[in-house]
Amino acid sequence: MTLYERLGGEPAFQAAVDDFYRRMLTDERVSRFFDNVDMDGQIAKQKAFLTYVTGGPAAYTGKDMRKAHEHLWSKGLGDEHVDVVIEHLGATLIDLGAKAEDVAEVAELAESVRKDVLGR
Amino acid sequence: MNPDRTARPAEPSSAIHLKGRTIPLAAGESVLEGLERAGIEAPSGCRAGTCCKCMLQGEDPPAMSQRSLRPTLRAQGFFLACQAYPIGTLELSSGEAPEPIDTVIQSVEAVAPDVARILLRPEDSFAFRPGQYLDVLHPSGALRSYSIASLPSDQVLELHVRRIANGLVSSWIHEQNEGQRVQIRGPFGQCFHVADDEQKRLLLVGAGTGLAPLLGIARDALEQGHKGSIKLVHGGLQPDRLYMRPQLSELAETWPNLEVEHCVLREATEQEHEGPLDQVAIRLAGSLENTRAFLCGDAEIVRLLQRSLFLAGISSAEMFADPFSPASP
Ligand SMILES: Cc1cc2nc3c(=O)[nH]c(=O)nc-3n(C[C@H](O)[C@H](O)[C@H](O)COP(=O)(O)OP(=O)(O)OC[C@H]3O[C@@H](n4cnc5c(N)ncnc54)[C@H](O)[C@@H]3O)c2cc1C
Ligand code: HEM
Repeated sequence: MTLYERLGGEPAFQAAVDDFYRRMLTDERVSRFFDNVDMDGQIAKQKAFLTYVTGGPAAYTGKDMRKAHEHLWSKGLGDEHVDVVIEHLGATLIDLGAKAEDVAEVAELAESVRKDVLGR
Repeated sequence: MNPDRTARPAEPSSAIHLKGRTIPLAAGESVLEGLERAGIEAPSGCRAGTCCKCMLQGEDPPAMSQRSLRPTLRAQGFFLACQAYPIGTLELSSGEAPEPIDTVIQSVEAVAPDVARILLRPEDSFAFRPGQYLDVLHPSGALRSYSIASLPSDQVLELHVRRIANGLVSSWIHEQNEGQRVQIRGPFGQCFHVADDEQKRLLLVGAGTGLAPLLGIARDALEQGHKGSIKLVHGGLQPDRLYMRPQLSELAETWPNLEVEHCVLREATEQEHEGPLDQVAIRLAGSLENTRAFLCGDAEIVRLLQRSLFLAGISSAEMFADPFSPASP
């Protein structure tokens, strides 16, 4: 069973994505990357993000990850921002009932696409 | 794997129908896969029902494919193509704009120094949900959107139009007279009442002519028997910008679960609250538990409201926003 399924799948993620997105919007280290005008679109994409990193059904490739973030590179997207994302991701997952070892596993998955997200 | 897909025996008769063309679906093939195989361009992303990029509109799509969408989208037949395994033939919308229809101006009434309340009588049937918007066609061919404040049972389309300095269509419509013809097309938009929970608290916040859709939504919810509290907060720069107050008071007197509040940025009297609309609305709302919010008016203020109410605790799935963005040239 994937972590995604163990945490309750789609219904549980509806609330989790709000929690995660509130954390991103109120953290001034990363909020500027999220001040996109279309909030509904942002929410859907952050939900895709959470689904993906917890092993849920979301079929992204490294190439997709590059494409999803390439418009952020010129805004200075860097390692420190990936660290912040992983930090808030952990907090959201713990609130959702994940265990420390689950969070470590998710962080590992996020790490594995770091170079794509940053366009290296 | 989609459970729907493995559990059901092969459905040889599944197909999609689009613009006169029928595309048969192989067993276990989604609408998205079918479109792609037929060489029809269809946007997609996660292919797992989360990113919503593959959203399409059709007639009675499978419930599974609408599961994660907002109730307003579901009510209009939107669905996710990557999650859709139809039984039988699924009719897809062509995505083309509806044909324009004629209307006749019944009245143009100044309700504030720069706002006119315009009543149009459609000459053809025009089905809509209060709070949606229509496009007005200017003789030059330009199109501008205006939100609908009336109910279908009123038999007229009520618009509130603010005159923009040097604005092509808003100035033009302010100068029209009773009996003149105006072409419209529509309706469009996702900002309307869905009676999925009659106890939900409704928080309606709008600035300026953002009142138009909110008035439509409030009246629609009340007429449909909504039981939960409905709070409408109308905002403007200063007291003389807040129009149609007598009508709003009368409505609030008729319906005990409706409360109307006024908010200005400056020169408040006893009749208005003073302060930024988002902060005043959050304060007046009290609890945001089980609340659905409708946010309408100029784009900038709507985005502020969206963000503030979201951070104050309203679920993203319960926010319906209608930013009045200026037409792109
Ligand atoms: C979904 C939707 C619903 C809408 N509902 C309503 C409604 O119910 N009532 C209503 O009055 N309007 C509404 N609008 C806005 C309306 O569609 C027009 O944009 C507006 O009337 C201006 O059109 P115009 O042709 O007069 O001005 P234009 O000729 O398009 O613009 C003239 C100049 O004014 C600027 N301008 C445009 N809008 C504004 C503004 N709001 N404030 C300051 N400057 C501006 C333009 O950038 C341009 O420089 C809605 C818009 C959308 C997208
Ligand atoms: C840690 C690894 C990361 C992963 C696995 C990841 C994953 C994703 C996914 C799956 C999407 C949705 C793509 C789509 O369908 O369009 C997305 C979008 C997005 N991500 Fe990330 N992300 C990561 C890091 C970051 C970081 C560090 C930032 C910035 C601080 C960021 C900002 C965004 C933004 C703004 C979008 C929306 C883009 C748009 O509007 O099109 N992401 N991400």
